[in-house]
Amino acid sequence: MLINKDMKMADVIHLDHHLLYVINRFNIQLGFEDKSVADVCAEHQVNTSFFLEIVNTYHDPSYFPLKNLKRFSPSLLIDYLQKTHHYYLGIKIPEIEQYINQLTLNNKIEPAHSKLLVDFFQSYKTELTAHISREEQRVYPYVKKLEEFLSLVDDGEVSLHEINEYSIQKYEEEHDDVEAKLYDLKNIIIKYLPSPNDSSLFNKILHDLFELERDLNNHGRFENLILVPIVEKMEKDLVKKLK
Amino acid sequence: MQRLSILIIEQSFIIREGIKTLLSQMNQPFSMEEVDEFVIDLPKLLRKTKPNLVLINPKYIGTDIVLPRTNNSKIIFAAILQGEIEPNIKSKFECCLQIDADKQTLSKQFEEMIEKGAGKKKIQQNSTLSEREISILKLVALGLTNNDIGEKLYISTHTVMTHRKNITRKLGIKTVSGLTVFAILNNIIKAEEYR
Repeated sequence: MLINKDMKMADVIHLDHHLLYVINRFNIQLGFEDKSVADVCAEHQVNTSFFLEIVNTYHDPSYFPLKNLKRFSPSLLIDYLQKTHHYYLGIKIPEIEQYINQLTLNNKIEPAHSKLLVDFFQSYKTELTAHISREEQRVYPYVKKLEEFLSLVDDGEVSLHEINEYSIQKYEEEHDDVEAKLYDLKNIIIKYLPSPNDSSLFNKILHDLFELERDLNNHGRFENLILVPIVEKMEKDLVKKLK
Repeated sequence: MQRLSILIIEQSFIIREGIKTLLSQMNQPFSMEEVDEFVIDLPKLLRKTKPNLVLINPKYIGTDIVLPRTNNSKIIFAAILQGEIEPNIKSKFECCLQIDADKQTLSKQFEEMIEKGAGKKKIQQNSTLSEREISILKLVALGLTNNDIGEKLYISTHTVMTHRKNITRKLGIKTVSGLTVFAILNNIIKAEEYR
């Protein structure tokens, strides 16, 4: 079932509580009373149709309306992707990190094993952080420059070398696979660590890893299927404009 | 995985939709051609649609039908059945879908049908590593490249890569650092060796 603007926001959460994390990214917090999705969006100055497409693609992995999504401006999309990054690095990763560090305090777990997990997670975190900062520092500013340039009527003043330095194709090449390590970490915990006396802390970690993975997959689809094509089109438009 | 081409001959829309829903839960890609009326010339329809698997409600082809079977193109015929059915109809088909059965029974019937339709049995994959794979895993975990490993074991880089693919498939671990953790946990290498 797809979410629409007339649904009550509270019902949206009842329908799929995973959306809580997504909704927060729009600076929308709990306490919805009986307000509809459209009401809540208006209250927070959020573009309702953009909001709906985001929550629906998240809610239903088989729903991915490329056409609708390409209509939105790149900066709207980038703004959302950046908020997602902030959620990963500022909230989700520290949360998982905290759980993993707690393993070392548990005297029933072999210290050598908890150390393996701590180290593995640190190397994952380093990789993810590097991946994200590359996007934040190189890709997004590039896309914003392109957008800015294309919106100018008079193109005399813009320093083109900033645009020429990069191309989205490079981004596609750099777009490495941060998913593999996450996948490995899950399997190491599920299959290969000796069974602990009490799984509860591991359960929390796994739950968070699955949640993060789902989020990253959704994020990756936005980057590869929307951001990249939009920017490729902008690059073509730019070439035309320069002729 | 090979895409299964399915032909379904059944008038009821809701049964066709139900079958599609169950099929899509089976993790087997398929395309489906739907026929919702009595079929007079079944061989012609088969030539046109070229299915691997045909689901038929026997009512829509006539009870006295002889299913067209040729040796060179193997088509699996499955009957869509409801209620009590004469055994002589059942015996004409390779498998049956009893649509009034419970979900568990139906899932089994679907699985059997897909296995037959795809012409292969699911192989229970062996997940223990061979001795050769363990020795390669050890070198990977210690940080050697595929080239290094090939030279050391007198095998081609290509062979090393094949072993590595198998190791990853068997263990469900894709990255070098993941394999290192596995190797330490299983005493294939010692943590100190790795440092």
